[in-house]
Amino acid sequence: MNLYQHYTAINARLARGETLHFDAEKTRKLCYPRIGVYAGTGTSHSWLWFAELFERIGFHDIAFLNERAIQEGLNGSDVLAVSGGDTFAVAEALGAKGSEQIRTFVEKGGLYIGACAGAYLPMNSSKEHLNLFNFADVKITNLSKTLPKAERMAHKCYTAYGCDFIFHPVREEVRLRTTGIQPFTAHSSLLAPMYGGPSMAIPENAEVLACYDGFTEKTAFLVSHALAQETLLGKAAVVRVKRGNGCFYLFGPHFEHPRFPEANKLMADAIYWDIRDRRETQPASAQDEDTLRGPDAKKLIRDIKRELSNSRIVATGLEIMPIHWLIGAKIYEPEKIRVFLEAAWSRLIRLEKRDQINIRPGVAAHLVEYAKEITVALREIKNLTDREHDTVKSATEIFNLLNQFSTTFLEMYFGCLMLDA
Amino acid sequence: MDYLSADKILIVDLAASETTEDELDEDLVSEKIGGAGMTKHLYEQHEDEDPIVIGTGLLTGTLYPATAAGVITAKSPVSGTLCHCPITLKLGVEIKYSGFDYIVLKGVSDKPIYLWVHDGVADIQDAADVWGKDVWETTDAWRKIVGDDLLQTLVIGKSGESGSDYAQVCFNHWSSGDRWGFGKAFGGKNIKGAAFRGMGLLEAAKPEEFVERSLEILKAIKPNDFMGKRGVGDICAALGHEDVTDWLAPIVHRHSACYNTPYPTNTFAYLDDDPKLVTETKVKEPGILITDIFGLIGFKNLGLSAADSCRALKACAKYGIDPTAVAELSPGKSLEDVENAFARLSGSPPIAGKGVFSPWCPTKPLFGDFGLSGGDETANWWERHQALASIFGIHPIFAVMCPQLTEENMLELANIGTDLELDKDTLDEVIDGLCG
Repeated sequence: MNLYQHYTAINARLARGETLHFDAEKTRKLCYPRIGVYAGTGTSHSWLWFAELFERIGFHDIAFLNERAIQEGLNGSDVLAVSGGDTFAVAEALGAKGSEQIRTFVEKGGLYIGACAGAYLPMNSSKEHLNLFNFADVKITNLSKTLPKAERMAHKCYTAYGCDFIFHPVREEVRLRTTGIQPFTAHSSLLAPMYGGPSMAIPENAEVLACYDGFTEKTAFLVSHALAQETLLGKAAVVRVKRGNGCFYLFGPHFEHPRFPEANKLMADAIYWDIRDRRETQPASAQDEDTLRGPDAKKLIRDIKRELSNSRIVATGLEIMPIHWLIGAKIYEPEKIRVFLEAAWSRLIRLEKRDQINIRPGVAAHLVEYAKEITVALREIKNLTDREHDTVKSATEIFNLLNQFSTTFLEMYFGCLMLDA
Repeated sequence: MDYLSADKILIVDLAASETTEDELDEDLVSEKIGGAGMTKHLYEQHEDEDPIVIGTGLLTGTLYPATAAGVITAKSPVSGTLCHCPITLKLGVEIKYSGFDYIVLKGVSDKPIYLWVHDGVADIQDAADVWGKDVWETTDAWRKIVGDDLLQTLVIGKSGESGSDYAQVCFNHWSSGDRWGFGKAFGGKNIKGAAFRGMGLLEAAKPEEFVERSLEILKAIKPNDFMGKRGVGDICAALGHEDVTDWLAPIVHRHSACYNTPYPTNTFAYLDDDPKLVTETKVKEPGILITDIFGLIGFKNLGLSAADSCRALKACAKYGIDPTAVAELSPGKSLEDVENAFARLSGSPPIAGKGVFSPWCPTKPLFGDFGLSGGDETANWWERHQALASIFGIHPIFAVMCPQLTEENMLELANIGTDLELDKDTLDEVIDGLCG
């Protein structure tokens, strides 16, 4: 039984109502969590990694939330997962209402999991919008008053932060050392990827669960080796900050990345360890849903497949063209389009075999409509690119559409998984 | 059928404008193997509705050398007999990757349509916008609609629309091995053609063994007599037209191979840009991919220059007409005469072989020594080799130049790839069924 099957088996037992504990002493009762994944404004594609991780380990009671959903309240969730992206844009989108909801959610016992941009978000800041989210007194070490010399990928190396610069010393794989604090006890050393996440000074009021410990042959240095070493090694990579009855987990590296099973395990353990048994767990997604059966279910999946195929074909062609887009403070490459499309495509096979699809009323039509709009918009980008016209506006629209489509699709998908459970 | 296959047969009822899908049954594969063995079977199954069957070989799209080919099987509107036309370039592979092993087009559509096949989805699309357009315009239009420059098309031009006996189904922008008037058959059904794109993957039953043996066979090919030779010029030389290479040389830009085929059977000639250009041309239509050896030789024999011969090939490809037939039947001997003859051709060009497999592929061994004594033995060898190539999806021209691609190793790889137990007896039976 592999790592993921192990967790899936545990979650299947929890879903059946069995009582299980994290530890032999039975101090921590396991709960089947209801997880909100933020997929709204400012996120990159990395929230899809959360979706993949949670699917693999059998956390299927997932809601994909945009900023409006968070502003309306997180009462239904045990965990809020905030992925990578543009922290400034996330903060602005969530605003004061979103900030208040997150604060209340955590203080009442909720678990906040932030990776990369999601880790920066609740750190103390004086900057507009970010200052609404001063929940964790954690300082970063990848901050500089002067611009360090970029050795490569200058567009990925810095983000202006007032008069200073947040810089990203490395990308890809780094080595981490855990500190032996529960729940990070399964591995003393592990690998995880970095895509702009923070390195943190050892905070006084927080627990350091893992530190940066070294580099590997797959580490890509964006600044000099010496500066990367000075900025990262020995600094905190994962911290836990308690607030009220809940806590914030701040992950510099992407522990949710699907190619890093050891990191995945620690993230799953964090959820098991710090989730509070706050309610009787009932599948949320089974409520208020329509069931499409037989030919109607097949037609829906067929219609989605048709448009996804059309979109993938254009998107693949765009990948060999010399284009990228600056949207907000982030550079987007055409490859990111297919990350969204593949997330749905790879799950279609499972849905194609079903005779029954659970979906909220009216959503099926929206889903197909979103998919069609993506195809049209991608073809427009291809057409404009061929004529050497600017495509930033169309690309911005595409990523919004991809987010809307992907959240709606995955909501349907996880709804079906819950039905199976 | 889980391996080396998309596991689907598409049935297109043109009269009803509906598509249905069947799974590809393993028992049927065990009996008919694939390619023309299967397309003939499907043709017979739907014979009442005068079908055109498009198919791929059992090994098409794999690592076994030269597995570029698919096949079109239909009744020739000219001869009235069942014939097979090889599908080459990247099109044969794309058909399988687009999610279907076989496509049956039956009945007649009440309006012009084309088929858009992608990732296991088949859409019947209105072709009103491209009906009346030439092959190049149509392929360009479909690529623009879909937003993909790699889209592979099977398309007819004005020749097919107007019901000419010499009408070809062309591949992308280029002439094909259709000597049977299948372009007319498409036009008669109101099908402008089909566009294919797929990002599917093929699975082999024993993937490591399949790759290892394919690479071993490829390695064994390397010392072959065709090594160091390339393009249509050297093929023409092997056919006794030694002067073609020098005649064509001033306009040759590059040679081009079909998918995974170790010999480049096609040559690109630049007509409107510098043939020595190594950067990408800025000219929209710089020249022509020469895909038809006998068409080229035919125009040369008319006395046309290399450039004018290629211009004639280009005009044929755009119009969607068989260049070999045009060269054979053209009443005049100038480029203008040739181009003006398209709509007025008459007569029957000679067809080598039994009229089952396309003599677009030379009817004798090229370069390689197959140990043949000539005469009937060569003729029978050619028919059997074309059948074999069409069953497994091997490039038909490469099949007649490479003795290392044997019936035994094709069967061996098919069995490794599929986990079936196909044997020589079955293969003989399928080949006999095809060759008569």
